[in-house]
Amino acid sequence: MFKYLENQLPKLVMAPTAIAMFVCMYGFIAWTVGLSFTKSRMMPQWDFVGLMQYEKLFANPRWMVALDNLWIFTFLFIVISLFIGLMLAIFLDRNVRAEGALRTIYLYPMAISFVVTGTAWKWILNPGLGIEKLVRDLGFTDFEFRWLVDQDMAIYTIVIAAVWQSSGFVMAMFLAGLRGIDDNLIKAAQIDGASTTRTYWHIILPMMKPVFFGAIVVLSHIAIKSFDLVQALTGGGPGYASDLPANFMYTFAFNRAQMGVGAASAVIMLCGVLAILVPYLYSELRSDKQ
Amino acid sequence: MSSMNLRLGRTLIYTLLIGFALIYLAPLYVMLVTSLKDIEEIRSGNLIALPEHINFSAWVKAWNSACTGSECEGLAPYFWNSVRIVIPAVLISTIIGACNGYVLAQWQFKGSNMLFGALLFGCFIPFQVILLPMAKLLAWLGLANTVVGLVGVHVVYGITFTTLFFRNYYVAIPNELVRAARLDGAGFFAIFWRIFLPMSTPIFVVTVIWQFTQIWNDFLFGVVYSGPGTQPITVALNNLVNTSVGGKEYNVDMAAAIIAALPTLLVYLVAGKYFVRGLTAGAVKG
Amino acid sequence: MGAITIQELTKSYGETQVLKGIDLAINDGEFLILVGPSGCGKSTLMNCIAGLEDITSGELFIGDDNVTTVNPKDRDIAMVFQSYALYPTMTVERNIRFGLEMRKYPKAEIDSTVKDVAKLLQIEHLLDRKPSQLSGGQRQRVAMGRALARSPRVFLFDEPLSNLDAKLRVEMRTEIKKLHKRLGTTIVYVTHDQVEAMTLADRIAVMKDGVVQQFGTPYEIYNDPANRFVADFMGSPAMNFIECTVKDGNIIIESGGQHHEVKVPGTEALKSSGLDSVVLGLRPEMITEPKPHSDSGYISQMSLNVLVTEPTGPDTLAFGEWNGQEMQARLSPEVGVKAETEGKVEIQVDTGKAVLFDPKTGARI
Repeated sequence: MFKYLENQLPKLVMAPTAIAMFVCMYGFIAWTVGLSFTKSRMMPQWDFVGLMQYEKLFANPRWMVALDNLWIFTFLFIVISLFIGLMLAIFLDRNVRAEGALRTIYLYPMAISFVVTGTAWKWILNPGLGIEKLVRDLGFTDFEFRWLVDQDMAIYTIVIAAVWQSSGFVMAMFLAGLRGIDDNLIKAAQIDGASTTRTYWHIILPMMKPVFFGAIVVLSHIAIKSFDLVQALTGGGPGYASDLPANFMYTFAFNRAQMGVGAASAVIMLCGVLAILVPYLYSELRSDKQ
Repeated sequence: MSSMNLRLGRTLIYTLLIGFALIYLAPLYVMLVTSLKDIEEIRSGNLIALPEHINFSAWVKAWNSACTGSECEGLAPYFWNSVRIVIPAVLISTIIGACNGYVLAQWQFKGSNMLFGALLFGCFIPFQVILLPMAKLLAWLGLANTVVGLVGVHVVYGITFTTLFFRNYYVAIPNELVRAARLDGAGFFAIFWRIFLPMSTPIFVVTVIWQFTQIWNDFLFGVVYSGPGTQPITVALNNLVNTSVGGKEYNVDMAAAIIAALPTLLVYLVAGKYFVRGLTAGAVKG
Repeated sequence: MGAITIQELTKSYGETQVLKGIDLAINDGEFLILVGPSGCGKSTLMNCIAGLEDITSGELFIGDDNVTTVNPKDRDIAMVFQSYALYPTMTVERNIRFGLEMRKYPKAEIDSTVKDVAKLLQIEHLLDRKPSQLSGGQRQRVAMGRALARSPRVFLFDEPLSNLDAKLRVEMRTEIKKLHKRLGTTIVYVTHDQVEAMTLADRIAVMKDGVVQQFGTPYEIYNDPANRFVADFMGSPAMNFIECTVKDGNIIIESGGQHHEVKVPGTEALKSSGLDSVVLGLRPEMITEPKPHSDSGYISQMSLNVLVTEPTGPDTLAFGEWNGQEMQARLSPEVGVKAETEGKVEIQVDTGKAVLFDPKTGARI
């Protein structure tokens, strides 16, 4: 009996986690998916109404704006972060002095809350007293920079702040990748007469493919979950011009008592993550087997 | 000629690297100088000008008398709320993660790999998809708007990461160590306590820093699951900035933002190496 | 005491059976070697003896105790692992003490045991170091010291020398053998190295595919292999296997353009088997230059076309062909040089220890 218990110890230790996981992750996901097929508003009501909430969701102009914003934001955020991160990593990898200090500077925004980032950039981009005033004081009195309050441009302020926060992290990923490359390879390329640019373009960058994939997965994951930055920087405004799906979900589920619509939007977000994650995990597992 | 080129290249590299460093530092600089000016100087001067008189009154106000909605007690109470949430949540999730990682790496049983896969997936789910049912569960347990409830939420969704960290650390240790210890007469917990824990310091540091940063910086769970008396500092900061009672006080906003960022920034400066290690481990593997 | 009896032991992981009914009886104080290619089940069998793997069916006795379901720590065994498995955060001394402390030995007794063991293995000067500060050979000694300290009924060694370099391996091999002589405790020792098996064992169990192919003394295994697998696996350089036609209980060898009818032991068995061809198994040292005094009654002389020679120092291996199949002979270095330059050598073949196998099943005839 005692021996039996002892043999079961590993399972016993895992049990609380397993239960919490199945309830609070898979159970809750099922609950939310289920809810999205009901007409729940203030309180959950379990009468099945099919895809009604999804139809309502996609008929809602605010949701469509949030989706459009998500594409714009994700695309620009990833492309710019990758570009800056890669560039900084390549330059840092060229035996520069004070590398440690520079790395520390590029990466510190990652330690800060998105709410703080939002607050700071909200001030910097302030139409009256921020960058606009700074440039005007320099003599360009006609200079205008009011993206924060411009319906069409507000989403780009979020891109700026997000890139500032996350590109250092991309730099760290690429730097780790570059450090993993065998020095002899670069020497061999030099002996073969390849210029530095060619060496990077034809030999080193192709070897960074897994880092690109990893970084893209992480960045798009950050993009889809982005909530606090928008909340702090623009509050989704002006109007709802800079809403992202996460903000839409929060507003509808908690402020407007539209649980069904909120649940439906959360399910769409989950599908978005799965669409990125499943192919990635699949390719990872396949390369693991090889 | 080529040495000229080389020098030109080096200059270009340094110019770019330093230029970017200035861009990255600029927001922090702007925050700092703004927080030290008075409101008159902010209106008349510009973003990057140094303050004429260093003035800490904005910091004092941000700490203990600025309005966050209808309350006007500054950030202090919320700072301590965050501390009360972060400490137990970090400790509990780290300890559970260590035990889980130990089991998943060294005491595999039928289905343990499946369990790990299922857990790993939890690192990726957008939390929006669990917000509503978790709110219901907390209400049902009577934990809505409580510190205990928030700690619980952070523990549950933090375990995925802590387990991942410890599992990946322990999986590199040969299982023969466990076998040897079993023959030496040590049981499940004795092996964990006397052999595995003593060699886990680095991964403990990584995990604690990661969890601390994540939970301190959390806004989503804070805004959804906390009540007026239990809000964490991120939520309070957002409220403070968006409260427009009696004109905007940008210097107070900036002081408040720095206060909210200070603990994680300090951790980053002191233990940056471990922070980065957690970041890459959590991101690449997770 | 330390006798081990294994009865019809099987072990399965899900559908796959890795041990298919093992029966072994190991005497108290015996040095048993489990040898076989990787994946043969030898390590699994050892883990079953240790209790680190559950037995699917069958029984296991140590001494008179049925330990089939007994916890590893209560089996009174100690084990030395391939990776040594030293506890990395503990000093050498704490490593050795650990097992005794877990068993709640009195402190004075632990102190004196650690001292004795350290002296025996000459690791006294290492007691305060951490495993990471030790060389491979030193770690090996500490791992043995940890096992020795508990003076168990049985020692288990799981490929303990495979992480050492060649020279150290030979030294430690001798040391282990001396230790066994001195302690007289039963040892079960897993290896894939047949030289280790031959040099150390009192008895060897050769395993393949979860089945014991042969269980016997090194002499029996080497000279009287149960089947072609055992004959092939044991011995270096490997035994020659030549497929030959049978004629009147003799076998036919074509060598150097000549045709020979060669007499082999076991003519009756060969005749009654009714086979018209067999595989002749002959160790290279049975094929040498002619020696004046050899007279086993099974000597034949023939010439061999030499394709290539490999001098090893004490002797030279000469590769040639019999019946169109590659074979090797073992020549003295002087003859070897001549064979290499002339491409041809006169040899004598002693088939007195030849073994014959069924070409289809590999079974011994």
